Amino acid sequence: MNTLPDTTNYMIAGYAVFAVVFSVFITSLAFRWKKLKQDIQTLEELGKDSNP
Amino acid sequence: MNKKPVPLLILDILSLVLLVVAAYLALVFAPMEATMGNVQKVFYFHVANAWVGMLGFISAGVAGIAYLRSHDPKWDIVEVAAVEISLVFFLIAIILGSIWARPVWNTWWTWEPRLTTAAITELIYLAYFMLRNGIEDPNRRARFSAVYTLIGSVSVPITFMAIRFFRTIHPVVIGSQTAQAQGGFNMSPDMKVAFFFSLFTFTVIFVDLFWHRIRLGILENKVEELKLKVME
Repeated sequence: MNTLPDTTNYMIAGYAVFAVVFSVFITSLAFRWKKLKQDIQTLEELGKDSNP
Repeated sequence: MNKKPVPLLILDILSLVLLVVAAYLALVFAPMEATMGNVQKVFYFHVANAWVGMLGFISAGVAGIAYLRSHDPKWDIVEVAAVEISLVFFLIAIILGSIWARPVWNTWWTWEPRLTTAAITELIYLAYFMLRNGIEDPNRRARFSAVYTLIGSVSVPITFMAIRFFRTIHPVVIGSQTAQAQGGFNMSPDMKVAFFFSLFTFTVIFVDLFWHRIRLGILENKVEELKLKVME
């Protein structure tokens, strides 16, 4: 009689990897967006200071 | 660029809801496969991630053609966005495939045609960013990148067709199986629901992230312009 292998841990690992990599990417997009907005603010202030 | 457009916000919410439903369909709704057990459920997200990965690489090639024809910098932004997102999705597909392979093939990795071509494709697009980082002039960088993605996109149909052209142990779930395939299975109607819903979900997520990444690219260009202005 064939018994079904218990491969649940591999399934969990697969979905966990997906969740981690996907979350890291989304977070990276959000961080970069925030940093660029700060850069723009700083550069605009610098521009104002140099061309009063 | 300050405020997120309403359609993008709706797309964000839709993507999240679809992702939750797709996970439910894959993990709970779809039946357990008779010979592989629960690890087969990795297949739904594995294929969907590979699909959007390939979709993005092809989109990058199309954006490359558009740039070479028009020399409009917006196509360069679109191209970078497509490659970056696809690199992430394709990496996930490769890792999920490796996790699936461990109990089914008894190995994490084997140099068979599909895995080899997929790894080469991922490396080609990883090198794309190395190429871009190595060129300072924006016009030259965009031109070289466009040609690179155009040539690189040839790897996508090769990867897709590898399991159909060559003798391989990688299963072909849609279409005829090769004699060597290990881990193949016939999808039941419930499995098909989970499978096609995952494909649809990841296509929507791809569009959503693509839009976000393009907005980020526009902002990056604005910062570059401001930097040049301040330095003048």
